[in-house]
Amino acid sequence: MSDKRSDRRGFLAKGFAAMAGAAAAAAAVSPLRHLTGDSIPSWEEFFQKHYKEMTPEDKQAVLERIRRHVEERFQARATVSDPPPLDGVEFVYGLNLSRCIGCRRCVHACVKENNSSRSPEIQYIRVLQMEKGSIDVETSDHHYAPPQVPDPDKYYMPVQCHQCAKPPCVKVCPVEATWQEKDGIVVIDYDWCIGCRYCEAACPYWARRFNFAEPTIPKDELNPRMAYLSNRPRSKGVMEKCTYCLHRTRVGRLPACLEVCPTGSRKFGNVLDPASEVAFILKHKRVYVLKEDVGTLPRFFYYFDERGSRYGEPLS
Amino acid sequence: MESDPREPTANQPAPGHVRGVATATPWISATLLVFAAVLGMGGWTYRPPAPATVRVPAWATDNAPVRRPRLQPTLTSGVYTYRCSDCHRIIPSPSETDRTLTQHREIELRHGINTRCFNCHHRENRDAFVDDYGNEIPWNQPQLLCAKCHGTVYRDWQHGAHGRTNGFWDPRRGEPRRLRCIECHDPHWPPFAPMVPAPGPASPRPRLEAGRGHVGRELRPAPTPLRPPPESPRDVKRPDGKGGQQ
Repeated sequence: MSDKRSDRRGFLAKGFAAMAGAAAAAAAVSPLRHLTGDSIPSWEEFFQKHYKEMTPEDKQAVLERIRRHVEERFQARATVSDPPPLDGVEFVYGLNLSRCIGCRRCVHACVKENNSSRSPEIQYIRVLQMEKGSIDVETSDHHYAPPQVPDPDKYYMPVQCHQCAKPPCVKVCPVEATWQEKDGIVVIDYDWCIGCRYCEAACPYWARRFNFAEPTIPKDELNPRMAYLSNRPRSKGVMEKCTYCLHRTRVGRLPACLEVCPTGSRKFGNVLDPASEVAFILKHKRVYVLKEDVGTLPRFFYYFDERGSRYGEPLS
Repeated sequence: MESDPREPTANQPAPGHVRGVATATPWISATLLVFAAVLGMGGWTYRPPAPATVRVPAWATDNAPVRRPRLQPTLTSGVYTYRCSDCHRIIPSPSETDRTLTQHREIELRHGINTRCFNCHHRENRDAFVDDYGNEIPWNQPQLLCAKCHGTVYRDWQHGAHGRTNGFWDPRRGEPRRLRCIECHDPHWPPFAPMVPAPGPASPRPRLEAGRGHVGRELRPAPTPLRPPPESPRDVKRPDGKGGQQ
């Protein structure tokens, strides 16, 4: 025993092992140095209730806290609201595959409207360039970059959250941080999400996005009209997705992706209103449901015109 | 010298123990120093491989319609603005024959088989369009003119299935603004004009040069030589050569 204790080789080995261990431990905890005020939840944030359990007073306090937080982080005055779902309204989206030219305006309008992270890049809409005559999304390409669109040999299918009536993402959430509202919009409580990404795996439409790093938004591009369940700035480690711009649509306006679409391919409205555009489309146009066979009952419908896509066709 | 530390410990364990602690003291401090040094080294910390911040291009979020037609029968030449009838009242148009235009030569008429001016423009009153019965269609109602031929599209447009609607979906909250035909289509050259696409996603693209096929397939060891891209878009249904039996 005394031999071991005083053995020089063992003594040195233990010493170096201890130093290596210390170095490894330091390296392991060194990311903690980069913790900022944003990453450490405040007392009230940590003990915040689930959205559905908040009283109106709780909600007001939370909205005020978020407003202050945004002001600190972006030096911008924001209005944070929480518009409730409207009675007798069920939102449905229509997208005319015969008219979409794949210009990606919707993608960028969405990013700007929803305060999505610019780096790492988070985009809710993915525009798939599809082979004409095929509905196989596995042969699609969303990185296309020709000098001009549309390519006469292709058609374009933008994919975003389909706000399914039977949403698999809601089913798999272990903490009920995501749920379906009565107007059909599937929402996320960003303060309740634990970032397990089960929902991302469950979604058949690749609609959910994860904040792998602290989202960055240029201060001058911040959209100050925010809502709790949609476009308020997110933090690292939470999921997000398209909410049909509920901060706009629940007060009667149209989503940002629709308003920017130069071709008018995008249609939105209340399907329970028989006079609405989407009700007409569902009743009179040929409609295609993406991955209908998975049984998610989407509220997002692709439709066609009578003669199919006519762009690029010679007029003679 | 080497057996120096061994001897006192063998004879007197207690002093040797004390001396061992004393010898370990530089080790402990060195260990703590290394801990602090590694903790202080910024270069070793993980940085997410996110690309630089990409600003949203302003032209890509512009809600303006692609065309801004004047919904009035006017023509601006230099500083003067004329009504169409200002000239056409004085100078009657010659009858339509297959001849080279002497006026309005900037107009490139590529409207399919619709190659006659007076199919749309009123023969007598040039400040109006003409309907199927020779009656006038006011200049600010161009959709009634287009509806003469494009009936199904007009029907869709009336119900909102064709064309742009901006503003509000809920008419109780605000006015929906439905754009008219010529705010997207040039009446003399109607197909929707191609445009430059906005930048694509900056996500990594683990794809082959061919740019086709499922991502998961290409993460597997690729057969060598790589399959050339299909010659025509019709051939891409089975990019990996599989699935023909299904």
